[in-house]
Parts: sequence; structure tokens; C-alpha cells
Amino acid sequence: MSQIVRTWLGFAAIGAGLVHLALVISSPLPIAAIVLLLGVTEVAWGVVTFVRDSVPAPRVACAVAIAPLLAWSLLVVAATMLDAVWLAASLPLLPMAIASIFELFVAAVLAAHLRRVQNAVGTATLPALPSAGRYLVGLMAGALLVGALTTPALAATEAGRYAQPHGSHDADFIPADDGGSGTLTGIRLPEHGGH
Amino acid sequence: MTKSPNRLLATVFGVVYLLVGLLGFTVTGGVSFFDTSGGLLLGLFEVNVFHNVAHLLIGAALLIAGVSNIAAARGVNIAIGAAYLLLGIVGLFLIGTEVNILAINAADNVLHFASAAVLLAVGLGADKKVRAARA
Repeated sequence: MSQIVRTWLGFAAIGAGLVHLALVISSPLPIAAIVLLLGVTEVAWGVVTFVRDSVPAPRVACAVAIAPLLAWSLLVVAATMLDAVWLAASLPLLPMAIASIFELFVAAVLAAHLRRVQNAVGTATLPALPSAGRYLVGLMAGALLVGALTTPALAATEAGRYAQPHGSHDADFIPADDGGSGTLTGIRLPEHGGH
Repeated sequence: MTKSPNRLLATVFGVVYLLVGLLGFTVTGGVSFFDTSGGLLLGLFEVNVFHNVAHLLIGAALLIAGVSNIAAARGVNIAIGAAYLLLGIVGLFLIGTEVNILAINAADNVLHFASAAVLLAVGLGADKKVRAARA
């Protein structure tokens, strides 16, 4: 597997791991424990993928990448059939969908890699290292794409809602006196951001 | 240099951070050294004088390491990447407080995290033959 694709795998795994970790605080205990374990595993696997020369435990990683997607699908089906919305409510659609994209990418790349290795028994050779410029461009493209997908996913979680900076409210703002009439008219709110 | 991702990255990032540090002084007129609210670089990234000096030092360290050798570039990339990761996390809690001595805003945090990701990924992942040869 090329060095560039391996960095993409690392970024995708870390992205999925961060999204899963962000879902911990909004989930009931059993689901929180599962996404915590999954998130830590994914981040650790991503870091090791960067550090080592080969992908760690590709067969197990392929299975672990697919399992959350299957489990989430089953949970949504069960919640629908049993009319128990609360079952799947702690796993919001956008973060889970983006984490699933990362997982599917990891699983697809690993499956293709395993097939290639299986078909080339005895003739396997390490791929040539890419040039420094090509490697850096590939790495930054992967980092940008994963960052662009992970950011809205994190923002859509409970953890992301708390992390949103509150912006710059005008502390000197005083509402206009309505003269005791009980109705407020002619109020011009100062510009503020952050919500 | 063009054969080593670590040296190339350290050199490019070094030049960029030196330029960012110099440009920062164009928006920090009247801003004190540790001011918690500074000027906006490119209309987005908040900096004060301390922040500019930090950019200059980081840029210089990266550039010197980049033009030196692979081992130096790897070491500096990993060290500054780890420092940026730490600063990115700490920065989330510093915004709006009185100890925000780098005048960090949300855009700064995004840039610090992005720099950390790229520096650590290249530092930990590239030029492994050099590391193996040195071990």
C-alpha cells in the first residue's frame, strides 16, 4: 500500500474516532461505553498507522470498520420497528453518517489491499516511496478533506454545541425604556455573532 | 531537501510562519505585548505582539531545521506539532479569559490544529528509513 494512501487511512480513522468520542456525553451508558471504546481504538489505530511502515492488523481493522455501520443500521431498524425512537436518538444522523463515510473508506481500502496481497503471494514487493512533494500534497489533501468532514460532524454533536464559542456580545447593550407601556418598540439590537 | 518530506515541510512552514509573524506586526499597532485582544491578521486570525514573536521563533526553528538535515527537521516537526496540538486544546479554554496572553480566537485554534495534524503526520510518518538507520 502506498505511503500516501496509508496517511489517508490514518486521518480517516482519527476522524471517525473523534466523532465517536464526541458522541459519548450524549449517549446512555451502554452506548456511551461502546462509542468510547470504538473512538479510542480508532484514534490509536490511526496514530499507529502513521508511525508504522505497514497497516496494523488489516483483517481485524476491516471488520471493526464495518461493524459500527452494521450495528447502527440494526439499531435504527429496531428503533423504527419497535416504535422506540429513544433507542437511536443518542446517535444523530450527521455525525454518524460522516463517521460511516470514514469507516467505509477504511474498509474499502483495506479490503482491496488484502485482496491484492492474497493474489500476489510470493511476488509481493513494497511500493516505491512517493516524492516528497507528492507525499506532502497527498497528505495535506487528505487532512483538508477529513478536517472539512469532521468539523461539521463534531459541531452537530452535544460536545460540539458546548464547544461553540459564544461570540462577542455587546456588554453595554441596554434595552430601550418602554415607558411602562409594556410594549417594546423601536429597539435596535446591536450586531453580534457566535450563535 | 526535495527528497525528504520532513525537510520540505519544515522549510515551507518555516517560511510561511516567518511571513505570518512579520505580517502580524502590520495589524498590532497599539496592541500591547500580552494584550488579550489583538489585531486581525487577514481579517480572521487574531494576534498580539507575543503571538507574532512566537510565530517568528517557530518559523525560524522550522526553517533552520529544514535547511539542516532530515533528523533535525523530523525532530522539530514533531516537537512543534505536539506543541501546536497542546496549544489548540488549551486554546479552546483560553478564549474570552484574562489569561489569553496570545490573543487566541477560534480561527487561530483551527489553524493550530491543522498545523499540528500536518506536522505530526509528516514527522511521525515520513523518512522512516533515516530513523531505522539511526536506531
